[in-house]
Amino acid sequence: MKKKVLSVLLCVAMVGTLAVGCGSKDEGSDSKADAKTEDTQKDDAGDSGKKTYAIVTKAAGNPYNEKEAEGFQEVIEAEGGECIVKHPEAATADAQVSVIQSLISQGVDSIAIAANDENALQAALEEAMDAGIKVSCLDSKANADSRQTFVNQAGVTEIGQALMDAVLDITGGEGQWAILSATSQAANQNAWIDSMKEIMKDDKYSKLELVEVAYGDDEPQKSTDQTQALLSKYPDLKVICAPTTVGINAAAKVLQDEKSSVKLTGLGLPSEMAEYIGDDDAHSCPYMYLWNPIDVGRLGAYTSIALVDGTITGAAGDQFTAGDMGDYEVVEADDGGTEVILGAPFKFDPDNIGEWKDVY
Amino acid sequence: MAGKSGRTISNVPEKSWKKTVLSWEGMLVLLIILINIFCASISPSYQLANVLREMPKYLTEVFLMLPMAYILILGEIDISVGATVCLSATMTCMVCNKDMPFIVVVLTALLVGTICGFINGMILTRFTELPPMIVTLGTQIVFRGIAEIALGSGGSISLSNTDGFRMIAGKAGMIPYILFVVLIFAVIFTLVLSKTTFGRSVYAIGSNRLAAYYSGIHVQNIRLIIYTAMGFMAGLAALFLTSVLYGANTTTGNGFELDAIAMAVFGGISTAGGKGKLQGGIISAFIIICLRIGLGQINMNPQLILIILGALLILAVLLPNIGGEVKLKKKTVSAK
Amino acid sequence: MKDNKSIWKKITGSREASLLIVLIILCVVISFRSPSFMTLKSITDMLKNNAVIMIMTLGMLGVLLLGGIDISIASTLAFSGMTVGMLLKYNIVENAFLLFLIAIGLGALCGLVVGLVIAKGKVLPIIATMGFMYIYRGLAYLIGNSQWASAENLGEFKNFALGKVLGINNVVLIMLLCYVIFFIVMKWTKIGRKVYAVGSNREAAAISGINTSNVELMVYTVMGTLAGLCGALAVAVYSSAQPNMLYGKEMDVIAACVIGGVSMTGGRGSVVGAFLGSLILAIIAKALPLVGIDSIAQNTVKGVIILVVVILNVVTQRVMDKNNLKGREM
Repeated sequence: MKKKVLSVLLCVAMVGTLAVGCGSKDEGSDSKADAKTEDTQKDDAGDSGKKTYAIVTKAAGNPYNEKEAEGFQEVIEAEGGECIVKHPEAATADAQVSVIQSLISQGVDSIAIAANDENALQAALEEAMDAGIKVSCLDSKANADSRQTFVNQAGVTEIGQALMDAVLDITGGEGQWAILSATSQAANQNAWIDSMKEIMKDDKYSKLELVEVAYGDDEPQKSTDQTQALLSKYPDLKVICAPTTVGINAAAKVLQDEKSSVKLTGLGLPSEMAEYIGDDDAHSCPYMYLWNPIDVGRLGAYTSIALVDGTITGAAGDQFTAGDMGDYEVVEADDGGTEVILGAPFKFDPDNIGEWKDVY
Repeated sequence: MAGKSGRTISNVPEKSWKKTVLSWEGMLVLLIILINIFCASISPSYQLANVLREMPKYLTEVFLMLPMAYILILGEIDISVGATVCLSATMTCMVCNKDMPFIVVVLTALLVGTICGFINGMILTRFTELPPMIVTLGTQIVFRGIAEIALGSGGSISLSNTDGFRMIAGKAGMIPYILFVVLIFAVIFTLVLSKTTFGRSVYAIGSNRLAAYYSGIHVQNIRLIIYTAMGFMAGLAALFLTSVLYGANTTTGNGFELDAIAMAVFGGISTAGGKGKLQGGIISAFIIICLRIGLGQINMNPQLILIILGALLILAVLLPNIGGEVKLKKKTVSAK
Repeated sequence: MKDNKSIWKKITGSREASLLIVLIILCVVISFRSPSFMTLKSITDMLKNNAVIMIMTLGMLGVLLLGGIDISIASTLAFSGMTVGMLLKYNIVENAFLLFLIAIGLGALCGLVVGLVIAKGKVLPIIATMGFMYIYRGLAYLIGNSQWASAENLGEFKNFALGKVLGINNVVLIMLLCYVIFFIVMKWTKIGRKVYAVGSNREAAAISGINTSNVELMVYTVMGTLAGLCGALAVAVYSSAQPNMLYGKEMDVIAACVIGGVSMTGGRGSVVGAFLGSLILAIIAKALPLVGIDSIAQNTVKGVIILVVVILNVVTQRVMDKNNLKGREM
């Protein structure tokens, strides 16, 4: 019996010694990595080594994330850097922590991350910054303490305003409308919904009645259930606004299949929604909004490059040039951090959907 | 139940089973060496400092593996632990943000976990007909649901004061404290399982519940203790996970239960009950952790990593079975 | 099992009856709160939206009857669904019938591999299917190559979920057809009786000349086949194929079985029970948003309902056993 306990201890010792062995072997590269980060801080022009820029997406197997990563990769490689695209194994902050840790080990120069949770990445991202890595967020932010800046696809109020005006326009100025969101905890969606509620206080929208905010958890099945529940609960419903790509898709399908008079708007991927966008009664969605994920990725890449070469530090007021995208300025964000805003959301209507559906 | 068929097998050749266990553990030791060499050769960043730095997040799952091994040896399963970790981490963050002394925070984590485990244990021992899988599935949804309600519409909470957790996440030299804690608990759990009457009773219940009951073992008490211990360890895992995350959200701890089960099974612990040694589970936990870190560092497609882990899991059970089958057939033939 | 009893005793003594009562109470309470629930359209919607889970419940019934378990089915579904989606997206195959055949074939293959590992390799079902859960899900991601198939790619295929035969939606019809076939097979054929025999006492079944490992192999293959079919159905119903589709839903399928009185230790459970069990889960999912429970609490309520129903099951079983015992004593 003692043997077995001993064998356990032995094993642990073995892991240790082995790891030490590898460690001492590679000490050289370790110090190299240190030197690299020092170089970065000094912005040494003589450094001929390629810089490494990493992007961490929200989850694998999602074309939206893929397009973002593509845009990022394209810019980094055009600028002569090395690009690492990392997808976490699941769409959780837990999984992203492991990815960040792994990137710290690899000694990358910058990490651009689309955070799955605002708070739960703080420890890992702080560690990354302590190691001299430049950390920026894109698409979906981590809290102010865990990032240097945030590439925001569109201002929260701009999105809220665009969606509210769409609802006002489609309802014809009055009537009941509902929101179908992702999970009740989704940070982006909640910010947009709050902003819409704020905008709705204006007199212009006084005849609109928001009857419910439903949550489809970004699952097609649950979103379908929720849409059907909205339809049967509120027979006078005029518009559903779904600020989430999975939700809008499921809702569009339900409305179109049932030939419902209820119309839809929100935020959706053109390629997913092409089938449902149209002005006539046969289509459920007259128009919707989104930004270009490729551009989000590209701006994220330029921001990472600017952070690494020292053009910006992530403080408000910093300015940089993002290649052919033009000049951008770092501004104060609501949460006490800073952000770079890509631009206003883009409107997809029957006229332009044909050309965009093949792009993303 | 699978135990029905398992029973006859375990009854047949006691010695050959022991042999396979010994050789299995030997193989695991060999494997961990190979994995380390492999990882070090494919990734230049696979160095001691980096491995130890990446390890704490994965080590939290080892806390869950230890009691999970007991539950598997009982021939049962607990799939609510991921949710328990989530609820416990959520409560811990909330209490911490109320400016409580750190010891209270620690106690909250452990207490919430223990209560969750106790609830599982109570339901399972009061309604013994219920399969553990379905009960823990129900409590899984409920525990995570309560965490969702507590977190409210943000779904996420951050620590306003991270001092205590920074201390936990600290290191002695290069070795993170959590590694020591894991090893201490690993030794305790191993000793209890292999050296005490309690441990023997667990094996007895696992291989034949009725016989164990008639030989005077308090089957239900032991189950209650083990499920409660499972909850306690989930609380401990939540505490250390919080020190890695500085926060919690509704997806915290997602899938931890399956990782913990995979570690135990890969270490030779049978889900049919009555078989397996904790030592194997502990070694295999480190094998899986090293492999994940190594493959992560060469930026392998995460889905591919999961495919590899899945295949390893099946092969780990399949190969000795095929080997054992041949031996068993020979023996039964010669016995006849 | 208890064949020659009076009808009354049959009704009061059966687990299905108590489930039916739960079902009726649920329906009454819900339609009281929300009158639109008990309309034909709402029920068709519900059945269509849950057809996938309900069909897989049948396969799981067979697996559980043998005392096994299969948690790889949602991954098999995603794998076959993604395959269908990608075939359509790149215009390789467009014939709906052929696509269904491919999906079913792929599912059968996946199930066969699982079955071989379990029945011939003697790997415990939970471990084997856990491994395959990762493997098949990974394959779904790899075959998708970070693309989704969306409504626009699916062409005519998606209309399948809208079509009707004899006034019944195609998807619902397939689901009902599966149930009828299974009901007949499990009740009146040799194969069905074999499954019960192996499930209730494997050794006895083996001695009486049943090849138990073949029965096991068959059950997992059927499970895979149904999961493959459901992959194609899910793509048609939601008009989209994503690699993470129905992630984690295998637990809903198992829960549906257990609620329906299928024993996880094997040998006990019926097609009617599985039907009622999955129906109860479907009604819960449909009703929670309708009756106006705060969305943040919906998961908790769902979990509590599952726990209550299974515990209730045990309690009624205990009462039933007591009554049976009394009958014997007299």
